Order: sequence, then structure tokens, then C-alpha cells
Amino acid sequence: MANRTIPRLLQTPAIVLLLFWMLVPLSMTLFFSFIRYVLASTNRPEWTSPSISNWRGFGNYQYVWNQDSFWLAIQNSLLIVCSILFLTVILGVAIAILINRTFPGRGIVRVLLISPFFVMPAVNAVLWINMLLDPVLGLQGAAVAGANDLVALLRDAPVVGSFFSLWPQFEPISFRATQTSAYAVIMMVTWQWTPFAVLILMTSLQSEDQQQKEAAILDGASRWSQFRFLTLPHLARPIAIVVMIQAIFHLSLYAEIEIVSRGNGNKNLPYYIGELVNNNIGAASATGIFAVILANIVAIFLLRMLGKTLME
Amino acid sequence: MGRIVLQKVSKKFGEIEVIPPLDLTIEDGEFAVFVGPSGCGKSTLLRLIAGLEDNTSGDIIIDGNTVTQVPPSKRGLAMVFQSYALYPHMTVRKNIGFPLRMEKMDQAEIDAKVNTAATSLNLTDYLDRKPGQLSGGQRQRVAIGRAIVREPLAFLFDEPLSNLDAALRVGMRMEILELHNKLKTTMIYVTHDQVEAMTMADKIVVLQAGVIEQVGSPLELYRAPRNLFVAGFIGSPKMNLITGPLAAKYGATTIGIRPEHIDVVASGGTWEGTVSVSEHLGSDTFLHVKVAGFEQVLTVRSIGDIAVKHGDKVSLSPRLGELHKFGADGLRIG
Repeated sequence: MANRTIPRLLQTPAIVLLLFWMLVPLSMTLFFSFIRYVLASTNRPEWTSPSISNWRGFGNYQYVWNQDSFWLAIQNSLLIVCSILFLTVILGVAIAILINRTFPGRGIVRVLLISPFFVMPAVNAVLWINMLLDPVLGLQGAAVAGANDLVALLRDAPVVGSFFSLWPQFEPISFRATQTSAYAVIMMVTWQWTPFAVLILMTSLQSEDQQQKEAAILDGASRWSQFRFLTLPHLARPIAIVVMIQAIFHLSLYAEIEIVSRGNGNKNLPYYIGELVNNNIGAASATGIFAVILANIVAIFLLRMLGKTLME
Repeated sequence: MGRIVLQKVSKKFGEIEVIPPLDLTIEDGEFAVFVGPSGCGKSTLLRLIAGLEDNTSGDIIIDGNTVTQVPPSKRGLAMVFQSYALYPHMTVRKNIGFPLRMEKMDQAEIDAKVNTAATSLNLTDYLDRKPGQLSGGQRQRVAIGRAIVREPLAFLFDEPLSNLDAALRVGMRMEILELHNKLKTTMIYVTHDQVEAMTMADKIVVLQAGVIEQVGSPLELYRAPRNLFVAGFIGSPKMNLITGPLAAKYGATTIGIRPEHIDVVASGGTWEGTVSVSEHLGSDTFLHVKVAGFEQVLTVRSIGDIAVKHGDKVSLSPRLGELHKFGADGLRIG
């Protein structure tokens, strides 16, 4: 027994530290979620500090559950995460296959492709929303204005003029609007995270067995069949990894939401919690617990779906 | 049917010519083995025939059609690779059926053909497994099955047995030979192992540095090697090659005598020597004998039951009728 006690004693500090690391925030969140704890409560000053005497039971949960904005936030969270996953995987596979061949300047192209990943999220958001997507000053505004000028020019042209005179004036899209702000977030995060997918998928492509490909060529497989029956199954595992890691990261997006429209139309769960925390800490904690549950549902769903690929 | 003719076929990788223009004919139904040391161009030659590499010049004619510009899948050839090259995500059934599926064959027809192939290769119990769950020999059989279902004009084997252990290799060798006897299809087999070449081939093509050194049946090559390279390469243990005054005595620059053509006699042999190593294999004993005046150690193949050990004096009597003579250019004399 003694020879087991000492190793366990030596492990204890690390384990205790980890337990505190996890348990203290979690139990505090749980505690706050069951009490009334509102910072700016002038009528009931006793609510401004956490105390067991302010017990509210499941009241906070009920309150959050009945808020439309809470469900909108969950909807936005899922929309943003799923869209980004879908786009990065497709773009990642396409780009990885495209650059997985020898061409002059491949090294530079690869470095350039990876570089978006090293931009800070907030900087990324500022660049996109102000310089690229801005309807007046951004690239989008310039492009739309240019297209309109071109159409105006063509209206006066002989032969085709009558055709172009039917064309409407193009309107630039404002990506800070309620209807479009989520798309802006999806675009900028996809741009930033595609390199991550490319990086992982490219390394995997390089480990693909060339003799298998030659065997497939001899078996009469077209390029598409080779991709469909050899490359894609080969990439299943790295794609699973890309999806898992990105799902975890993108559920907690914040900076982009804040910078694009301060949650107008693209408010996700973390941003919603962030807003509640300014005042109603009890409700924010309850939402936090909901977020933990949602993350776990997503995780279980992903593990079920992808676990089989990873285990093989 | 599967007559393969190479006319002035050559291959350059950049500026390096790995195969200078060569001519070769493989008759229909023949089992041809390309053999040579590693890097001799034998695999490249096979890949040229398969179409996985483009030849720099010359023509490849299969079954009367010039296929030099024809893509690999349209040449009617099936290839078995050294690493098996099975598709890891597919079951054995799907692996074997893959070429048929690519031909857009009817599913019922595919199933029937796969089952026939699997039965002939004893793979019926493994059809729903994936390659990762099979042993090396089973994987090799799946690879062969995938080749068989296509009913090709010729089979190409690229060192198919080199990843198997010695015992399995002998078994698979027999299976491939039986397959050849049954199908009577042209087969081209690449190996660096001269034992495989000798035991399997109807026709051996010995290659060195992309050049064909000799073409012939195993026994032709054994009896009359055209030059020193073939003499040293074919036969196990290797032929003893002796240079110097002794060779001059026989009117040659180099004389060669196979270990099995030297007899150990009680006394009065041509050469007297000291045994440095004796390898007892049971059926045979290989003696390595130092003979005064020879630079090389002579290898002698003797009967298995001989009580000779390190340091013993032996008397050797070569059978002069089996002596091979080579000139200064390395070519055979007489």
C-alpha cells in the first residue's frame, strides 16, 4: 500500500488545483443562478449582493427560458457555428487539394494562405467590417459603385445599350443591419479559420498513399472517383478534428459580434450572457448553465457523429 | 491475346536516362520475370508498360495495338503492387469489385464476379472485413482478386511478395503459379529475388542499369549465362568467379564454376584448401574454402551429411565440363 500512497500524495496538488479551477467557477455560477442578484436594484438593495437569503429557486431559469432574445441567441449561435463549419470544411478541402501539387512559388502561397489565422479576431473584425464590407467606404461600396458606373456606361453603348438599360441600380448591402450582421460574422470567421482547415487537411493529403491512387488509375477511376472513393475517406478523420475544434471555438465567439453590430441581429449565447452580466447576474448565471448544457449537447452530438471515424 | 511488344522503348527522368532504348517481346500466356538488383529499372519498365509512366520514346504494343498514347485503365492490364495498395476504407468485397464499379457494371454482375474471385482465392469468409483486419497474405490475395475480376490481357506484379515473411512467400509463389496455370494469361512479374525468378518464370529478363543483360528460360540462364553479371546474379549460392593466372590457363580472363559443380573428394583433387566456414543446412552443406593461390574464397555445395568443420583440409575436384569462361569484356566465350 505504501508504494501507492506516495505517488498519490504527489499527484494531489495538481488534482486539487484542477478541481478548484473547474469547481469553484462552476459552483459559483450554479449558486448565483439560484438567487436574486441584480447589480442596479435601487428598490431592493438587498439583491445587489449575493446571499442565500435571496433564494429564487428555478426562477432565473424560468425567466431566461421565457425570453425571446434567449432563443434568438441560441438560434444565432447554431446558425453561425454551423455555417462556419460548413464553409471552412468545403473551402479547406478545395484549397488543400489545389495547393497539394508542385507549382512555382508554392512556399509563398502556402505562407500567405496560413496568414489569416495569425490575425487577432478583433483586428480581423475591424478590417472586414470597415475596409471590406462597408457599403460606402469599404471595398464593397467601391465595387458596387464601380459596377453601377459600368452599367451606366453600357446603357449608352450601341447594340447592348437597350439590354443594360433594363438593369436596376445596384444597392450596396449594409452588413451592420439586423438581417445581415450574422452573415458578416460568418464571412470574417470563415476567412480566418479556413487556413486552419487547410493546414490540417494539407498535412493529411501529403500522407495519402500514392500506390493506392495508381491502383485506382489502373482500375479505371476518374479524377472525381479517386477523390470521392479515396481522398475523401482519407480526409474523414482530419475533417472530424477540424469540425470538433472549430465547434468548440466558435460557440464562444464574442469579439466579432461586438465589433460588427454590438449584437444587433447576430447576438449569440456568449454575447447574450455578456449583456445580462452588466446587471442581472442571476439570470446571466442561469443562461451560463444553459450554455454549458447546449455545449454538452453539441459535444455529444459531434462525438456520436464523428466518434466512429476517430475510433477506426 | 496478351502479347506485349516493346519497340525501342526508353525512359528519361529529366536528363537522366534510366532506360536506354530496348526491345522486348513477351508472348501471350507467358510468365515473364524482370529480375535485377534494386535500381536496375525493372519497376520503371513495368510502370511504362502499365502506363503509370510515359515512355520518352519508342512504342508499346499490347495485343497488336499500340498503346503508347492510351491511358493506363484502357490498356487492359491489371497490376498488383508491393504495398498491396488496397483501399483502406472499403471492405474486401468493395475492394475487389471496385474496378467493375468503375466500369459501371451492373451490381448483380459485380457481386457474382466478386464471389467467384473470392471463392477461388479462399477469401469468402473475409468479404466483409476491411484490409486493416487482414494478414499480409490475405491482403495480397485481395489485391490479386481485384486484378482477376477485370479479366485483363495481362497481369503485372510489382514485387508482390517482398512484404511477406519467408514461409508465406513460398506459399504465395505457388498460388500465383497455379493462378497462371489456370488462367493462362500473360503475367509480368518484377522481383529482385533470383530464386523467385528461377522458380516461377517461363522467361527471365535480367536487367542492370536499365539494360537487358539476357533473356531466356531459367535453365538457359543457368546453363549459359551470357556475361559475368548474369553469371553472378543467377544461381544460389553465387557462382565462383576466378580471375588471374588460373583463368588464363583455361584461355579466359575469368572462369566461373557453380558451387554445386565442385565435388569434395577424399584426396587427389584439383585444388587443396582449408575450410573457413561450413554452413550445414541439413539437405546441403555450403563450404567456404580458402584455396592457396586464389584471391576469392570458393563456395562449394556438398552433401548435407558431411562432417567438415572450420580449419579442416579438403580436396576439391571441379567438373571441368561445367566450367564457364568469360573474356576480358565480361562476355561468355564458347
